[in-house]
Amino acid sequence: MSILVLFFLITGLGLIAWLSARMRAARFRRASKARFSSLPSHFGGFVAMWTVLPAAIFLAVWASCAPGLVTNRVLTEPAAAHLPPPGFERAAILSEARSIASGDGFGTPTPLAATLAPAYAAAQTRADWIGAGVALLLAFASGAWAFTRVRPDFRARNQIERLVMALLLAAALVAILTTMGIVASLLFESARFFGMVPIGEFLFGTHWSPQVIDPRDPGASLGAVPLFWGTFFIGAVIAMFVAIPLGLMSAIYLTQYARPSVRMWMKPLIEVLAGVPTVVYGYFAALTVAPLVRDFAVAIGVRWASSESALAAGLVMGIMIIPFVSSMADDSITAVPAAMRDGSLAMGATQSETIRRVLLPAALPGVVGGILLAVSRAIGETMIVVMAASGVATLTLNPFASATTVTKQIVDLLTGEAEFDSPKTLAAFALGLTLFVITLLLNIVALTVVKRYREAYE
Amino acid sequence: MTERASIGTPAPTDWRDAAHQRRMAKRYGAERRFRWLGLGAVLMSAGFLVVLLVSMLSAGVSGFVQTQIALPIDFAHSRLTIDPAKLRGPGADLALAAADLGGATDAAAIAAYGPEGDALLSDGAWTRVRDQLKADPSLLHRRATVWVPAADRIDIAAKREGAPADEAIVAKLNAAHALKTSFNSFFLTSSDSTDPTMVGIWGALKGSLLTMFVTLLIAFPVGVLSALYLEEYAPHNRWTDLIEVSINNLAAVPSIIFGLLGLAVFLNTFHLQRSAAIVGGLTLALMTMPVIVIASRNAIKAVPPSIRDAAFGIGASPVQVVFHHVLPLAMPGILTGTIIGMARALGETAPLLMIGMRAFITAPPGGLRDPATVLPVQIFLWSDQVNRGFVEKTSAAILVLLVFLLAMNGVAIYLRNRFETRW
Repeated sequence: MSILVLFFLITGLGLIAWLSARMRAARFRRASKARFSSLPSHFGGFVAMWTVLPAAIFLAVWASCAPGLVTNRVLTEPAAAHLPPPGFERAAILSEARSIASGDGFGTPTPLAATLAPAYAAAQTRADWIGAGVALLLAFASGAWAFTRVRPDFRARNQIERLVMALLLAAALVAILTTMGIVASLLFESARFFGMVPIGEFLFGTHWSPQVIDPRDPGASLGAVPLFWGTFFIGAVIAMFVAIPLGLMSAIYLTQYARPSVRMWMKPLIEVLAGVPTVVYGYFAALTVAPLVRDFAVAIGVRWASSESALAAGLVMGIMIIPFVSSMADDSITAVPAAMRDGSLAMGATQSETIRRVLLPAALPGVVGGILLAVSRAIGETMIVVMAASGVATLTLNPFASATTVTKQIVDLLTGEAEFDSPKTLAAFALGLTLFVITLLLNIVALTVVKRYREAYE
Repeated sequence: MTERASIGTPAPTDWRDAAHQRRMAKRYGAERRFRWLGLGAVLMSAGFLVVLLVSMLSAGVSGFVQTQIALPIDFAHSRLTIDPAKLRGPGADLALAAADLGGATDAAAIAAYGPEGDALLSDGAWTRVRDQLKADPSLLHRRATVWVPAADRIDIAAKREGAPADEAIVAKLNAAHALKTSFNSFFLTSSDSTDPTMVGIWGALKGSLLTMFVTLLIAFPVGVLSALYLEEYAPHNRWTDLIEVSINNLAAVPSIIFGLLGLAVFLNTFHLQRSAAIVGGLTLALMTMPVIVIASRNAIKAVPPSIRDAAFGIGASPVQVVFHHVLPLAMPGILTGTIIGMARALGETAPLLMIGMRAFITAPPGGLRDPATVLPVQIFLWSDQVNRGFVEKTSAAILVLLVFLLAMNGVAIYLRNRFETRW
């Protein structure tokens, strides 16, 4: 029985359960004048829930263990005695037999797989029928049991609400699961990587060239220091060189000087910069900014001018970051109590003196927190550097030379054709782990700074 | 008295003193400079946006326009062996596929424009001939002129400066009135191709829509429900703190990390199809969920406690209070946050590269499990092409993406202004 038919059958049963329980509850509600804790639809929902949920849970469990049962069944066939011992070859033949049985095999099958295929098909059909039968039976039985509980004194609403609360809790747990999934997958793959490459060589090695990895000593060409430097140089130095002055001055102007109408228009306009997809920035950087930067470098006589310079990627990244800095600075400046500003102005300070001597020092923790958040955003940014920065890892202070970043290397390592277990692909997860840890630390520090600052004025 | 005098009162300010005047001029000068600096920063930031948009517009608009060449074909005397009767039935596609339309098109081009004539046409020119025949089978009996897309280099030469030789050809064709430019509807209806004159974004757009569908289906309910739990029901203990901390951290995790998660979990552990829309949707859902949670919590927090008290007062249960009163009132804010989160997911590229949505896909995906690509990844792939014809297509695709994002943000702003209640 196909999964779709089963789905409709169970949904149909649930619908019938809902309607019949509702009708029954409505009847006894009409009959008596007493007040009930639950509405007829609560009774309907209760019975429908008991009809659908057990069957659905059973099907989920069955779907996860049925393939194993099917395979065991096939292995008891006489033909299965000719299978090679457990290992890669055996798994390949079994999976080929499975794909022939389900009808999407292609090419000429190996003879053994072809002989096993009918057994597979039979076992699969059997498993499907058993699953469907038990699920329907379960739906019917538990639905009927729930239906017998539809009595005037039964509190169906409390049952429904218990289910709703369980759903809410489950939804909230998804966030924890995601975090755990991220940490676990990064740690697991990184552990495999550090089994091949010593952690010290990875973190402190200064030579990065994953294109040629010596299988005897993979760590020699997987030293990530040039990547860390490139990431820091592009994301935390060049980008911030653009974003901090522009973002901070924009925030100051818009909060202190601009007329409300100007502020109403310019603030969203600047924030649009944060909404532009990063792939667009990357294209802009690669197509427009990078050639300009290179021509400029050549014009002022720089010898190592690359067309994939750190400066081009960093400048565009800085533009992208402006709204982060400006909106955080905006919030912190407006949060400074007006009394402080008024006091300074009343003492005869000009507006700019008030801003520089009173408002900015008072808002500094918030501004610094915002800058840290912006840095974490910048070093995690991928597309701009993938499209505009170079793939060559160099330790350089020259902004016109090429530099590469952690994110760019993750993309390069994982989009190649290498098999999944090589140190090359696993290195991407080690880089990902490093990136995750660094951005996490930056965020925690930034949020603590901002929080403490907010408390100071509340 | 003497004591007070010894402390000394400062002399009253002499406003006309020259030194004072100088000092004041200096201070006011600094004030003016500071103000101009601020204005300059604002204008520069906005200027970057304008430059970005203008450069995309100027490069992209020509991507929507296609240069076409008039191709006179004498169907009656060509070597095509198509039975006109077959073209009226369901077997039309089969009959047309069997005929050597490509050869006939090239032959017609050579007959019309000399021995190099077939090189003037796009590689996919014959598909246009095929569509014409399908629309009007009577063409087979006569001579007709079909407008077909020009080859990439002719297209470039007609729109901007191309190679001198191509410019000369364009001039000649123009003189013969055999060249026209028209709206490239093909760009909106076809998929990726190796020939820039034949590419379209429909395949990528459909992939994006499917991916967004999965993302919305998962991220919205999970996000809203967990926001409700955290705001309305959660007891204050270590567990809920942990949930809260992980949501706030997830919102700040770089998007590429979610790509690594998708690769390790959905592809390597659950063995879902590589580059399928469902994997992309799941990955983006995990990324979008924290955004929705945070926006929803703010919206729920903004509903005043008096509403809850009133509902409790007339005997509603905690679940009824939230689902009948708080949630509907918070909905505009929740929807605004959701749309903004979805707009971010629509523009996201990096995590999708990790899960293999960068394949060369020439047909729009038929379902959630088919290999698909999305609009931003298509832009990335085209931007990597060496062929100059792809430059305008890339920018045109960017324009389409920006139009979608603009529309989504516009809807979000409208919702906020129209429905959000200030209590």
